[in-house]
Amino acid sequence: MQMTVDLNRVGAKGAIAEAAEGKWGMSIDRDLCTGCQACVAACAMENNISFVGEEDAGYGRTQHWIRIERFWEGAYPNVKIAGGYQPMMCQQCGHAPCEPVCPVFATPHSDAEQLNLQVYNRCIGTRYCANNCPYQARSFNWRDYHTMPERGNMVNGKLVFPLHNQFNPDVTVRRRGVMEKCTFCIQRIHKAQDKAKSEGREVMDGEFAPACAQACPADAITFGRIDHKDSLVSQRSNEGRGVKHLEDLNTLPRVTYLKEG
Amino acid sequence: MIRKFFKWAFSPMGRIAVAIAILSLFSLAAYGLYQTQQAPEQPIQFTHKLHVGLGIQCLYCHPGALRGPSPGLPTISKCWGCHQQIAKTQTSALLKPMVEAMDKGVGFTWVPVAQVPDFVHFTHRPHVAAGLNCENCHGDMTQVTIAVNPQVMNMGWCLSCHKERAAGDKEKLTKLTDCGTCHY
Amino acid sequence: MSEKITRRNFLKLTTAGAATAAIMTGCGPASRYVTREPYVKMPEYTYNGLSTYYATTCRECAAGCGIIVRTMQGRAIKVEGNPQNPINLGKTCARGQATLHGLYNPDRVENPVRQGRSAPQLSTAQVSWDEAIQTVSDALSKTNASEVAFLMGTAPDHLFDLVSDLTDAIGAPAPLRFSALSMFEARATLSKAAEDLLGQAGLPFFDISNADVVVSFGANFLETWLSPVAYTRGYAKMRRSRPRTRGYMVHFETQMSQTAAKADEWIPLLPGTEGLVALALGKLVAQLRGISAPRAFASVNVQQVVETSGVSMEQLTRVAELIAESHAPIAIPGGQALGQSNGLAAAEAILALNALVDNFGQPGGVSLSPLAPNAGAYHRPANAQEMSDLIAKMKSGKIKVLFIHGVNPLFELPQSFGFAEALHATPTVISFATFPDETALTSDYIFPDHHGLESWGYQRSQTGVMQSVLSGSQPVVAPNYNTRATADVFIEAARLAGGKLAQALPFADEVEFIQSKIENLIARTDGSFIAPEINAFSAYFQQHGGWWASSAESDSLSAANALGKSLNVSSAAASIGENEFFFLPFVSPTLGEAGANKPWLQELPDPTTTVMWNTWVAMNPETARELGIENDDVVRIVSEVGSVEASVYKYPAIHPNAVAMPFGQGHTAYGRFAAGRGANPTDVLAPSFNEAGDLAFAGMKVRIEKTGKQQPLSRLESRIGVYGEGMYEEK
Repeated sequence: MQMTVDLNRVGAKGAIAEAAEGKWGMSIDRDLCTGCQACVAACAMENNISFVGEEDAGYGRTQHWIRIERFWEGAYPNVKIAGGYQPMMCQQCGHAPCEPVCPVFATPHSDAEQLNLQVYNRCIGTRYCANNCPYQARSFNWRDYHTMPERGNMVNGKLVFPLHNQFNPDVTVRRRGVMEKCTFCIQRIHKAQDKAKSEGREVMDGEFAPACAQACPADAITFGRIDHKDSLVSQRSNEGRGVKHLEDLNTLPRVTYLKEG
Repeated sequence: MIRKFFKWAFSPMGRIAVAIAILSLFSLAAYGLYQTQQAPEQPIQFTHKLHVGLGIQCLYCHPGALRGPSPGLPTISKCWGCHQQIAKTQTSALLKPMVEAMDKGVGFTWVPVAQVPDFVHFTHRPHVAAGLNCENCHGDMTQVTIAVNPQVMNMGWCLSCHKERAAGDKEKLTKLTDCGTCHY
Repeated sequence: MSEKITRRNFLKLTTAGAATAAIMTGCGPASRYVTREPYVKMPEYTYNGLSTYYATTCRECAAGCGIIVRTMQGRAIKVEGNPQNPINLGKTCARGQATLHGLYNPDRVENPVRQGRSAPQLSTAQVSWDEAIQTVSDALSKTNASEVAFLMGTAPDHLFDLVSDLTDAIGAPAPLRFSALSMFEARATLSKAAEDLLGQAGLPFFDISNADVVVSFGANFLETWLSPVAYTRGYAKMRRSRPRTRGYMVHFETQMSQTAAKADEWIPLLPGTEGLVALALGKLVAQLRGISAPRAFASVNVQQVVETSGVSMEQLTRVAELIAESHAPIAIPGGQALGQSNGLAAAEAILALNALVDNFGQPGGVSLSPLAPNAGAYHRPANAQEMSDLIAKMKSGKIKVLFIHGVNPLFELPQSFGFAEALHATPTVISFATFPDETALTSDYIFPDHHGLESWGYQRSQTGVMQSVLSGSQPVVAPNYNTRATADVFIEAARLAGGKLAQALPFADEVEFIQSKIENLIARTDGSFIAPEINAFSAYFQQHGGWWASSAESDSLSAANALGKSLNVSSAAASIGENEFFFLPFVSPTLGEAGANKPWLQELPDPTTTVMWNTWVAMNPETARELGIENDDVVRIVSEVGSVEASVYKYPAIHPNAVAMPFGQGHTAYGRFAAGRGANPTDVLAPSFNEAGDLAFAGMKVRIEKTGKQQPLSRLESRIGVYGEGMYEEK
């Protein structure tokens, strides 16, 4: 007789906390990604991400929630970017290394949406999570960038920040000392779910997209339910070119990269 | 230095001093907390009691509660829609700011009473859709002039209701107690 | 960052700060620092807490992509692509996304001012709009018509039409449209080549989406070239839209651009030999296909091409085989190939290669971009030669009044053109700049136009799709500052002046003028919508974000013409001496020509080097080693007309005899995020032109001098392990 133990039930350490596929997922076609940075800009505009300026950028303190990596291979004249450009963001791991290290539980796992969360009001800025993230997808607010005086204008003795007009009211503006990362545009997920619910239906595939996927001129980024087999993202992820990064760490990433060729 | 302080703190005088210090800190905090719960100064002494008493529905002036996050404040032209037909509008001292604002075409600056911090993303629509009435959270408006908060709107208060309403439904409970439902 | 705070003071400050903060914010009704001011009268279609979306047109470049702007309570929150607009089909580029950082830029011209050429400061001498209009009116009516000049941006928009009507009526020279982008794209060369070979001037459209082999000669169509969002979509379709067919891409360019990095093969060659390589390929393809080489390719000596270009015989043969065996090959001429002394011949050679494989008018081939619905004929932007002519006229005092809108020639034109002196010699310069750019600050008056998202208008699409597209603009937010639409200023000024001027612009305002220009579309039934009369039509026009033909046009171009012409491409690649390099300026893929004042564009890493916020000189690591130059060493690039300094970035994918530098930085004004940052590569460009009058900017010879200075570049990539570098050491 074979005995199976549900590790989740007994709460064993190292148990795979959930079914492998999760809920929301993304596929990124590296064959199509042209490295144009439209996703990076769109993400910044949607999520109120602060720019840090040249000096802090040089220290590696940029706040990009999504960045485009490229790795050189070979030497001139047979040099190329290995595998093409690679957009990298929080992989929304099903079994995330960032989650267990937070001393104040500011990086919980969302059981409802199967995402890694960052609760800004809990975060005390230990940066353990960023240290433990194998994808280096987390960024820390080293300053109150948004309210740096040199970004504002003095108007009648008061400092005003015209750039603040652009802030998206659906996303918290983070202050200094807080960790942040890609949320899969959870505000858009909620909005779509809320709309669907008000109309008494389920969210349809392709009904909404995160800012990066929405902007991508090459349509390299696909977003949707990876637990629905007929969704576009499931089909693309399973078409044979899919690779998940650092999968051997058992992180269960929710982002599938499609290889070139 | 620190050792000296502890020595002093355990002496009779020291104990009294420490007790007074703790007490004053505590009362200061309590006073601060009390102050945050007071209704703020508003541009006009709007009486909810009277308007609700006249049978005006909450949603007439705050229609956004049905659609999305913010219930909204009525535009002055909306106030004017009724008030221009009321003789008292021109004579009442209390209504003077509104008449002036309408003449000048400038708005009022209200101070929101029921308010959550900006790291909380509250939306009215699902709450109204779930069958909650306005008074469940905002209190009985037939009793107050300027709106006041009937309770401290903190996370414990949100969660206790969420848990209560999701009792027995595991999926609903997960959704309603998920950090990411409100914080992002 | 600059203040030094000791630890002790820091602790003191934090304690004091925390206590104050606790008292100030923790207690009392004062803690409710948030106040809300409802509308006095709510705008139509606005609901509290819900977004309102407006369709308009992106004005960051001349492509004319349709955008939908999400607004909330009168603020513009997010730019999204307009899924209906055929050019971008719901997509945007990074510059389009960051347009909000232009709208809400802390450095805008907020009032009309008497600037008095007091660069680099923005004058505070405010004038009223009545005075401003009077000034414009006087300048128009009291100056001899031939002595008035108008200089505008590349986009053929409603303002260009309005000014054209104005200049036609008073007999003034037609307005010139110019931008650095059109200069670096060598648009005049491209349209001249099309005219020579296809018999019709216009911008060719390259249907890469249906091609299976794409041979690009320095065409950076994934970055800024002509209509990048449309071409990126074409690229994506070329790669993955067809079952079992993945398009193959070869890219000839001296340095690996962002586009070249996406090619299956990047083949470096010497700048100026692109046309020769095209001819050689043509000859080889003809041989492989078993047809006698047409006249166009007859005279080329393939072996010689191999020697001058640096492309090996094997590479040429392989690419020729690829083309010969392909069903739908296409060759694309890019700015770097055309901005050469032999640029026109190169453009013709590359177009002739398309003629050889007979893809004119075919799916996956070359067609002539259709004209926008309300355009009479293709009207190309001014080439560098025409700009030079204007400058000569200005210098000799033949221009008394210069109106500038939407272009910043002091920054965008090479210094050697002498635009600064020309401005000096012009008695009255009136700028309509939205931002305090170099040219605006050196003018007599700035009468600021609204930002693009605050304005009415339309923009004609020139290329990108085979549909005829007119993208429409409408204000998505009320103007933030005391600005006024330049079209309205001209209409008012013309009315004040009376006579011919008033007759030329008999409109109540800008909107009425726009309606008059789209009126003729009401009768058309082949478009995105039908409306019975102008008011309904205008409403639909705004709602949809423009008007476009519902189906793609096709043209029947003849290849015979193209092949019958004998083509002779001289090699532009001169030999270089000791410590001499080919200089390759290119438009920054993230900043474009006017993005430097948008902080998030500055923070976007360059796709290939990952450098942010600055200018770099891309140099082959081997070359750098020979010269004893390290990363971040500042070098001076010296040409016969000027010099420019920037930090070296050891770039593994550039020809050892060339250095490349991005254009987009090096502003002396243009707001706090742009001014005093980086260097402008046009400072070393000499005014030499090709046969089509475009600037021969690519492959100019420069010398490199070490300065002994170091200026670290901020990069996104890790420095660890790159060429054996360790952690960056502070010196």
